Amino acid sequence: MLRATSTSDARPLSPASAWAAEVAAVFVKDWRCEFRTRYALNTLALFAFTTLVVVSISLGPIGIDRARGSKVLPVLLWVILLFSVAAGLPRAFVQEEESQTATALRLSATPSALFCGKLLYCLTLVGALELLVTPVFVTLMSLKVESPGLLAVTLAAGGYGLAVGSTLVAAIIAQARTKGTLFSVLAFPILLPLLLLAVELTFSAVGGGGGSGGVALPQLLLYDASITVAGLMLFPVVWNP
Amino acid sequence: MPSTTLRFKNLRRRFGRLSVLEGVSGSVAPWEALLVTGPNGSGKSTLLRCLAGLLSPDKGTIEYREGDEVLDTAGRRLRLGYVAPDLALYSELTVAENLLFFARLRRTGPERGFEVLDRLGLPTDRMAGALSSGMRQRLRWAWALLHRPRLLLLDEPFQNLDAAGEQGTRELLREHLEGGGLAVVANPSHLEIDHVAGHLDLGR
Amino acid sequence: MKTLFAWLLWLWISLVIVGAFYYAPQAEGFQDGSDRILFFHVPMAWASFAGFIAAAVWSVRYLMTRDLRHDRSAHVAIQLGLLFGVLATISGAIWARIEWGAYWNWDPRQTSILISLLFYGAYLALRGAVEDPEKRARLAASYAILGLVVTPFLYWIMPRLTFSLHPEPVVNAEGKPKMQSEILQVLLASGVGFTALFFWLHSVHTRIQALAERKSAEME
Repeated sequence: MLRATSTSDARPLSPASAWAAEVAAVFVKDWRCEFRTRYALNTLALFAFTTLVVVSISLGPIGIDRARGSKVLPVLLWVILLFSVAAGLPRAFVQEEESQTATALRLSATPSALFCGKLLYCLTLVGALELLVTPVFVTLMSLKVESPGLLAVTLAAGGYGLAVGSTLVAAIIAQARTKGTLFSVLAFPILLPLLLLAVELTFSAVGGGGGSGGVALPQLLLYDASITVAGLMLFPVVWNP
Repeated sequence: MPSTTLRFKNLRRRFGRLSVLEGVSGSVAPWEALLVTGPNGSGKSTLLRCLAGLLSPDKGTIEYREGDEVLDTAGRRLRLGYVAPDLALYSELTVAENLLFFARLRRTGPERGFEVLDRLGLPTDRMAGALSSGMRQRLRWAWALLHRPRLLLLDEPFQNLDAAGEQGTRELLREHLEGGGLAVVANPSHLEIDHVAGHLDLGR
Repeated sequence: MKTLFAWLLWLWISLVIVGAFYYAPQAEGFQDGSDRILFFHVPMAWASFAGFIAAAVWSVRYLMTRDLRHDRSAHVAIQLGLLFGVLATISGAIWARIEWGAYWNWDPRQTSILISLLFYGAYLALRGAVEDPEKRARLAASYAILGLVVTPFLYWIMPRLTFSLHPEPVVNAEGKPKMQSEILQVLLASGVGFTALFFWLHSVHTRIQALAERKSAEME
């Protein structure tokens, strides 16, 4: 595919670094717009904290015992993350379609660079979300984390999978009607393996007894790799007619 | 500049039960503008969207050639310049920031875009969301010409422009065509465009 | 030719039904007569899964050729996959009630098929939310392929997470040698029958849909 080379000033950039510059441009643009509106950050933070409060009020005062707690709490953490992502992430693409800037993007951006730029943006959002939610969750629920290293790795790998899956599904539903509910309906079956693996690993990290024999983490990483490849291959199809 | 041509044959497109394009054909060569006219709903915008690669026709072919090379839809999409009423830029960014962003995407410098804005008299530090409709139209022109495209697809290009704006953009179009570019122009407010080589009337 | 195939299919499945109740002996370790559900429940689950694979294949073919007939085939495959999947789930739940005392046990296989039902539903919901045929085909095909990429993980993860109530040694779907040969024969015959039934229904349904689309296009 012929990529536009300007007839005016010859930019001596290799195709690879020109591509990377495109990715960076998309990333910077998304964050610049985000800082000026604070929409996604506010939505994510508000949603996450609301669910956190609900969870801790429901479980805290009742006094969930340690044994049962360490079984239930990993699940709750990931449920909070999942639902916060569903509340705040789809906007990355839905906003482009609704404000009609998608046309300009379609006519100027290389699809793979656009996808990676958006993905990077979503990754940073998820990362910020996890950094916000996890310490508060652990504190509020008095959760003893036996293996913080494993927890960090799980949050990184799980968060990555959440971001990739959500970015691709967001690109799909942005072009449909009833975008709000449709995102959750479509994303859940896709993200379920990721969630199950992440919960299993979090369960181990919290000291719930690692029964999986160390096979969950490679599977999670494999999931991340698979869904990245799938995203890169399917996005141009989803994005352009 | 190598010879660039656009040819489309037998384009058909329907939306549900409504058949909007029924076998439309045409071609444009360098130094030429193809004029597309017709009443509302006759498919002018649809045709332009198909030519821009924003919509895929149900049937028919579109061939865009630069020199010896025939570009596919993905290639054509990135090479052309497009002005249309429903094209919007980022309202949270300033005019300058918008141009810089799209220049980076297009892997080119923003100089041409700023040059056009200067000629059309649009200040670059204003938020794109705070522009009047006439100013937005000028920004669309600057965006379309940013990467010095050889093919311009113009849907209602002089809409919302005052006399000065219309004069400035007509001048830009004239320069584009005289420089060997091609254009497809839909629904112009007046029919006085030079270099009109073809007229496609979609009226029923 | 098509009619002949239909009659043969009817005959085959009738024989399977007879064989299920009279030819195959009672399987060990099961309550009286309840194991007969096996000959219908398992093949329907297979057929449902086959439908998913077929839909993904047709989705790929659509994306490569942009021929809407492939999109229609994928759509019908998912619809039938949903139907067979629901029947498999219900028959499985009935069997579970008889054998293990509860309709639902979060057994990995039960959970897997439930998730695939969610997936089919999501696919159909997506199709319902896009009006333009070309866009709908493109988005649905992408989602089907995405689903195919992701589903194997479920089948690998599931068995670890819960103790499996699904009987492995005796009635294992892979046909371990421990299964009595008559049971295996009827099971495989039923598998063939239900898969053939799936594809026969598929061909009928795609033809109906094609006719319906042509009719509504002419009627404008």
